[in-house]
Amino acid sequence: MWTPEVIMMIVKGIGETLYMTLVGTVIGYVLGLPWGVALDITAADGIRPNRAVYRVLDVSANILRSIPFLILLIAIQPFTRLLVGKSYGPTATIVPLVISAAPMIARMVESSLKEVDTGVIEAAQSMGATTMDIIFHVKLLESRVSLISGATISMGTILGYTAMAGVTGGGGLGDIAIRYGYYRYQADIMIVTVILLVVLVQIFQLIGNAIASKLDKRKK
Amino acid sequence: MANVIEVQGLSKRFQTADREVQALKDINLQIEEGDIYGIIGMSGAGKSTLVRCLNFLEVPTEGKVTVRGKQLDQLSEKELREERTQIGMIFQGFNLLMQKNVLDNVCFPMVIHGVKKQDAVACAKSLLEMVGLSSKETSYPAQLSGGQQQRVAIARALALQPKILLCDEATSALDPQTTNSILQLLKKINQEMGITIIIITHQMSVVREICHHVAILENGQIAEKGLVEEIFVHPKSRAAKMLVIEGRDPDEWEAEAEKQEVHELHESRRLRIVFSANSSYEPVIANMVLATKTPVNILFADTKDVGGVARGQMILGLPSGEEAQARIITYLKGHGLEVEEVAGNVDA
Repeated sequence: MWTPEVIMMIVKGIGETLYMTLVGTVIGYVLGLPWGVALDITAADGIRPNRAVYRVLDVSANILRSIPFLILLIAIQPFTRLLVGKSYGPTATIVPLVISAAPMIARMVESSLKEVDTGVIEAAQSMGATTMDIIFHVKLLESRVSLISGATISMGTILGYTAMAGVTGGGGLGDIAIRYGYYRYQADIMIVTVILLVVLVQIFQLIGNAIASKLDKRKK
Repeated sequence: MANVIEVQGLSKRFQTADREVQALKDINLQIEEGDIYGIIGMSGAGKSTLVRCLNFLEVPTEGKVTVRGKQLDQLSEKELREERTQIGMIFQGFNLLMQKNVLDNVCFPMVIHGVKKQDAVACAKSLLEMVGLSSKETSYPAQLSGGQQQRVAIARALALQPKILLCDEATSALDPQTTNSILQLLKKINQEMGITIIIITHQMSVVREICHHVAILENGQIAEKGLVEEIFVHPKSRAAKMLVIEGRDPDEWEAEAEKQEVHELHESRRLRIVFSANSSYEPVIANMVLATKTPVNILFADTKDVGGVARGQMILGLPSGEEAQARIITYLKGHGLEVEEVAGNVDA
């Protein structure tokens, strides 16, 4: 049963899962971070209130977040094919992954930025800081611990999504679990993949916590 | 001396969900260059809103604010940011960047205004030396005491070499000893760097300690303003009398107002007399009793340091009988004391 082929397949699965999770998270942040920043500053109590812009960003985040990942995965297959040429495999999975993760990341970023003390922002304004100064030198800097924690949570969620993508042949550990554990009743392989997924999430969490704690200067 | 800040007919209204709140009403102020100007009032009197109107962190609903000859509402956003570099500000909550160390906090305003890192560090170091925190450069704000954090905030506020420093309840979160050391530092900054300082506070002791001029704010309006010395000797408004005669800070005004009626005094007339430094040496009251052969009741007495000069004040209850009262008043005035009638109830 644990032939070299099976072991190779699982190792490859780990590689694909990490690839999808990491690339998905990075691209997710490329879109989600500015989205979250824009949500924060254009809100009614933000530093650049803009009701129209806020409404568009807010509603679109809500709509995308309310579509379950499994359905989104299937629904946007034509779009995925257009973008990467096929609708299966790890690279194709990254497309729905990003579309699902970006609005979630935007919300995470928004709530982290909201935590920044308004007094510090006022102090920066009193020094003649521009909106960009406040975003980069105050908001993102002061909330960095919360942003890292948010990134850790996002990564765990995205890892979970990669497993769901196994349904459409998305590759990675989830794909293996569905093909062997579900379609072929090989419970042992499924258990191994589940354990590996748990271990991966643990590792992400440990790394995330370590970085957050290292960056936090608020401790005595 | 030129006015560095002029406020004309300033009003500020806030729109809340169900009603409109009038925070400030027809405020007029002239603040001279090099002055230390106190604005005192109870919480909710609009002090913090007023000080924020001076650098347009709050935009007034009506009226004009002119800082160093520039009318703030006429400035473009960029010009306003530029002008703000000339107006430093410190806060009750210090408002330091908690994730940056002390040196970087002081460098921060210079960095965002494009000062070269090397020059910014040199300037920050000399400012930290001035506020007495050279040894804390690499500490983070969370590792410092409140007084130390406020010193960092002061160094930061001075980094762009402003002409004006706004202090919004800057000592309210500090204990009396630390408050005093911060006030001495502000005094030094005023004298050595010639920076005009505006101090918002609810503590009369702060005004007495360092302010030259004061405006008393009550319910969004200026009840009285002028030289601290002058207001201490001749308080006219109810609010000023509360502050000076009763020695009560504004936050205690309302609670105390009720109590007052309970122990209304029996004397038919009350006099407030103020001693200047030299008259404090003579036993005036004792001599007066001997001379007029009329006993008086000392209801209240204390000595306060007003701008470095000892000022004593006393409230006397006079016996009934107009002739005796007249004798006392003539005697006191004859000895060069400031005499002023106070009503049975101070706020009556």
